[in-house]
Amino acid sequence: MTNALVLDEESAEWIRALRPESAGRDDAVARLHALLLRATRSEALRRRPTLPARALDDFDNICVEAASDALMAILAKLDSYRGTARFTTWACKFAILETSSRLRRVAWRNRRVENDDSIWDRLPDSAPPALQRIEQRQLLAALRRAIDEQLTERQRFIFQSVTMDEVPTDVLAERLGTTRGAIYKTLHDARAKLRRALEASGHHDGGPVK
Amino acid sequence: MTDIDLDRLLGSDRDDPGCDEAGELMDAYCDLVSRGEPVSDQFEEFLTHMRNCDACREDMEGLLALVRERASEEPR
Repeated sequence: MTNALVLDEESAEWIRALRPESAGRDDAVARLHALLLRATRSEALRRRPTLPARALDDFDNICVEAASDALMAILAKLDSYRGTARFTTWACKFAILETSSRLRRVAWRNRRVENDDSIWDRLPDSAPPALQRIEQRQLLAALRRAIDEQLTERQRFIFQSVTMDEVPTDVLAERLGTTRGAIYKTLHDARAKLRRALEASGHHDGGPVK
Repeated sequence: MTDIDLDRLLGSDRDDPGCDEAGELMDAYCDLVSRGEPVSDQFEEFLTHMRNCDACREDMEGLLALVRERASEEPR
């Protein structure tokens, strides 16, 4: 393993103990699993107010599964740990990602992901938050035209699902059989096209984010 | 309509490394912030991604909350 930084004492001890040749590996794996389980439960509790009832039915099982999968991922990627963060922070990141991804998928279970053009007609009464503050009809028309004319079918579907219907990117990735990173890349490219189109039509100044 | 609304829909045109690269920096960023240390320019693109990506921002907020919780429990 090539570390970019000198590890702090605690992190170095974790790495030593988790090595396959370590005599105390079983104990270290058990301690790591306990840490991860605590992390998944903490994250699930933090998100609990935002979860639908069906996610709460399976609450503890989700945490246990997330901790187990995080543990497997960490042990498989131990050599990639570079020490830019404390080992426990690096490890807890896996626990957070496993938990949040599961909770988002449970929250969207039984919900269809589909683009529905009625979103435009329903404005402003029942529009999603991202659109609620759009007041200028001209801009709205220009945006809709740019979406229709500039985006590919896949870009349009992903852009509208993520930004208008607020479908989480990992939920969309699961439905489309791809990765969260790939979904985000498509979203990023779609946004760039729309920014250029709106700048060209004088509806967006192209300035930095406020 | 304000610029903020468009920003929410269209994201920032600043360099954005995407979910995978930003995820690699998430733990280091949370450690720095939880210790109250200054965040270097190294995290500029990471922060752009956090503004642009709801899922990654939620994950970062969760990790930061957890790191802070653990730090508050450590003996001084």
